[in-house]
Amino acid sequence: MKISKLLAAASLVTFCFAAGAAQAETLQMWVRSGIGASFTKLVEAYNGSHDDKIQMTEVPFSELVQKYATAIAGGQAPDALSLDLIYNPAFAAADQLEDLTDWAKALPYFASLSPSHVKLGTFEDKIYGLPLSVETSVFAWNKDLYKKAGLDPDKAPTTWEEISANAAKIRAISDDTYGFYFSGGGCGGCMIFTFTPLTWGAGADILSEDGKTATIDTPQMRKAIGYYRDMVKAGVVPPGAASDTGTNFLSITNGKIGQQNLGAFAIGTLVTEHPDIHFGVSLIPSVDGKTSSFAGGDNFVITKGSPRAAIAKNFLEYAYSLEGQKVMAKYGSLPTRSDIAAEVLKDLDPRMQVGVDAIAVAKTPYTLQFNDLINSANGPWASFTNAAIFGDDVDGAFATAQEEMQGIIDNAQ
Amino acid sequence: MTLADSLSPSPRRHRPKRRSQWKGVLYIAPAMALVIVFFILPVLFTFWMSLHKWPLIGASSFIGLRNYVRMFSDTRFYSALGFTAYYTVIITIAIFALAFPLAIFVERQRRMVGVYRTAIFMPVVVGLASASLLWVWFGNVDSGFLNPLLAWLGLVDPKSNFFASFDSAFVVICVMVVWKVAGFTMIILLTGLQAIPTELGEAARIDGANRWKRFIYVTLPLMRKTMALSLILSVTGSILAFDQFYIMTAGGPQNKMITVVYYIFNQSFVSFNLGYGAAMSLVLLAILVLISIFQLWLLRVGEDRP
Amino acid sequence: MTGKTQARARRALFSASGYHGTGILLAVFFLAPFAITILSSFRHGTEARLPPVPPWPTNGVSLDAYRSLDSFGAGVWQHTLNSAAVAIGTALLTVAVSLLAGYGFSRYRFKFKNALFVLIIATLMIPFQSILTPLFIILAKLGLNNSLIGLTLVYVTLQLPFSVFMMRNAFDAVPKEIEEAARIDGARDLGLLIRVLLPLVLPGIVTVAIFAFLNSWNEFLAALVLLSDNSKFTLPILISAVRAGRLGAIDWGAVQAGVTVMSVPCLFVFLLLQRYYMRGLMTGAVK
Repeated sequence: MKISKLLAAASLVTFCFAAGAAQAETLQMWVRSGIGASFTKLVEAYNGSHDDKIQMTEVPFSELVQKYATAIAGGQAPDALSLDLIYNPAFAAADQLEDLTDWAKALPYFASLSPSHVKLGTFEDKIYGLPLSVETSVFAWNKDLYKKAGLDPDKAPTTWEEISANAAKIRAISDDTYGFYFSGGGCGGCMIFTFTPLTWGAGADILSEDGKTATIDTPQMRKAIGYYRDMVKAGVVPPGAASDTGTNFLSITNGKIGQQNLGAFAIGTLVTEHPDIHFGVSLIPSVDGKTSSFAGGDNFVITKGSPRAAIAKNFLEYAYSLEGQKVMAKYGSLPTRSDIAAEVLKDLDPRMQVGVDAIAVAKTPYTLQFNDLINSANGPWASFTNAAIFGDDVDGAFATAQEEMQGIIDNAQ
Repeated sequence: MTLADSLSPSPRRHRPKRRSQWKGVLYIAPAMALVIVFFILPVLFTFWMSLHKWPLIGASSFIGLRNYVRMFSDTRFYSALGFTAYYTVIITIAIFALAFPLAIFVERQRRMVGVYRTAIFMPVVVGLASASLLWVWFGNVDSGFLNPLLAWLGLVDPKSNFFASFDSAFVVICVMVVWKVAGFTMIILLTGLQAIPTELGEAARIDGANRWKRFIYVTLPLMRKTMALSLILSVTGSILAFDQFYIMTAGGPQNKMITVVYYIFNQSFVSFNLGYGAAMSLVLLAILVLISIFQLWLLRVGEDRP
Repeated sequence: MTGKTQARARRALFSASGYHGTGILLAVFFLAPFAITILSSFRHGTEARLPPVPPWPTNGVSLDAYRSLDSFGAGVWQHTLNSAAVAIGTALLTVAVSLLAGYGFSRYRFKFKNALFVLIIATLMIPFQSILTPLFIILAKLGLNNSLIGLTLVYVTLQLPFSVFMMRNAFDAVPKEIEEAARIDGARDLGLLIRVLLPLVLPGIVTVAIFAFLNSWNEFLAALVLLSDNSKFTLPILISAVRAGRLGAIDWGAVQAGVTVMSVPCLFVFLLLQRYYMRGLMTGAVK
């Protein structure tokens, strides 16, 4: 008797709470796990100052696209999504995203939003995605290890000869220090991000301008592969690199890696989580000495037909405000608005500025087959990087990659 | 032939069955409902999808049998089939090579035999995903256990990365699977061994047959059915292998460890060619049904029962 | 005479020590990975990336690995509860459904009986990865997507071929006479099934329940695709997030803790009920 009364009372209370909560709406939003704390903090800040709430679900980054696509197929997609910008064209082409063109163009700061992101967010002259987080790839070195190896800790290397030579000296310090690191076990996403700038800066690319021809076999690519092969052969790269599928992407945080290409968000991670590691940052030199970078990060997209699109837009405007930009920058995400970038970064680590500088020289491939060609752990680019750098048959690796990439492009036409 | 036998309505016996007919149907109704909703419908739907170019998002278009035609010229599908066959043969031999001696070892009632049996069986009850995760850590070059152990035994260089080359990665995965599955096969084989009447062995011994001959001529023939059961369980399981390769090597160095299910998964959920993935699933299903018919025939599942 | 006895005794001793030596080696091979993982998970966070040599905590016991594990997703308790709910729900429902079906297939005759039985068994042959998308769509139509109940129903279906096979064999092994006697005493249908037959097929039931529990506790891919809420994810999804690493580095301590949290309940359930489990498995295999 008593218990049933209690239960009834409890359910009544729950009901009241539910009814009360229903007035302010809750936006369902997905983000990929592993992009760092900046977005979580942004959502916390927004929820703390607004009636409408954002409910964020972290999805393992390797499964996000699949899950989102399946959810769309089942009619159960979240209202909004922080989408890796390279997937933006494919989702826009499939007509699954809300058209943001008019709203976006009316934003007073539209012209100063990260150009790569807007380009990737645009499909057939309509805008479906806008920058949420900007991420560029940069070169980083461990100053303490430089010192121990007798190198000048404040001088960034500007050629790959220099980097290789430094790597050998760092390797010589002790049995467990290594000169260089990269995720070479078939991590297409890592390698396009950290490795292709070696060839981009020198004027080559792995796809033609229109994305219809694979152009992987270039002298620049051969040269870049050569540098990495030689470092592996010299033993200055940890053996674990050969099978790292991206899980140890930030090995430099263990303090035993001398040099590494990494993402700008890692600057924030290193500063906040590993204050004991002293490191320098510079732009990634290409094989002929010019610099380049990969502009990555996430676009904010709204699922087509979401009834809460207004909240989503409201939230995005908050993200673009000085306050929102500062919250994100504090936790490692670069400013998406160039007009207030200087102000946002004012009180933050000066090394973040290198990441912003990289935006100017950065590229992002525009292809609907990005996943199949490059990002998939079992795609041609991922296996190419592993086979060409660690395998015995470099020519074979080039030939296979060229053939498979072209095949995928042709099949999709 | 056998399938036809089992499909034909059972011969009527003398008792009137009208009443118990619907009762029997009622008893199996919940099971049938679940199977229809969560299995038959999805499979029919899969067949429908296999006739379409069906991206995971966006509109689909009917393309007839083109997905099936595409399979014939898909070299990656062939290499997936090849690797699956290779893995199935190797792992089945490996499991039997260990499980049979184990079954003989734990057959006789001796002191502690229960403890050994339990110990050997323990890995069976944890998930394949947990087991894969455990061994991926074990085999890790920087933080694992295998490296220090084997280096201490003087077998490998302490800095060798097992997951960097096909052969060593394949060995680690096979060791993991054998570790995880041998106990199960052992128990199945044990039931077969225990079902053999002891008098038969005794009689053979009196006839002067030695231990090896008794095993070959008495034990093995009587184990035919049990062997078939465990063989087919092992073969079916291996053909459907996915988790261990996905978790431990993500398809292996340069995609050399892509099994058929892995390839279907990739085509469906990474490349979003759901139609093509569906077509390959049905081909895989056909292969497995052939093996299953063989299994049903061996085990006489279709046999009419009282 | 005495020499012969001595020789025999010596040989027995020799074979006994050989037997137990082998047994202990085998036990070590099959158990050591668990022991090493569980012990290593209690090392300090700073030791997590070092090889487990020796494989036990040397700097005192620490829960760092578990704290790190807890910081993924919605916390380890929430995910453990989800997994437990799904696994126990699957076990109970599988037992109920397969008990009825096993009884129906064993004791009744009806049209297409064998065909239907083969149909249920045939679900074993399909790689369910390939029907996930249709499954997702059907669940969405039923309003059961992103729900632990929907996931449980899918798991029950995946368990049915083995369980129905098992229960039919269990009922087949019960002598008809017992049932006839009970019928004469007036027991009918469900009453007969529950009061008279249930105790007789108990080992089979326990086997079915344990298999259902373990398989649904451990399943990864369907859970990943069918659930879409942080707070509803089951343990394997948490573990996969750990495996994927965070901030570009994998925390092996959290992996060890995760494997421990995943496996210890399985080992515990098995050790607790292994007599039933083995008996059920063996009677099932013989048939």
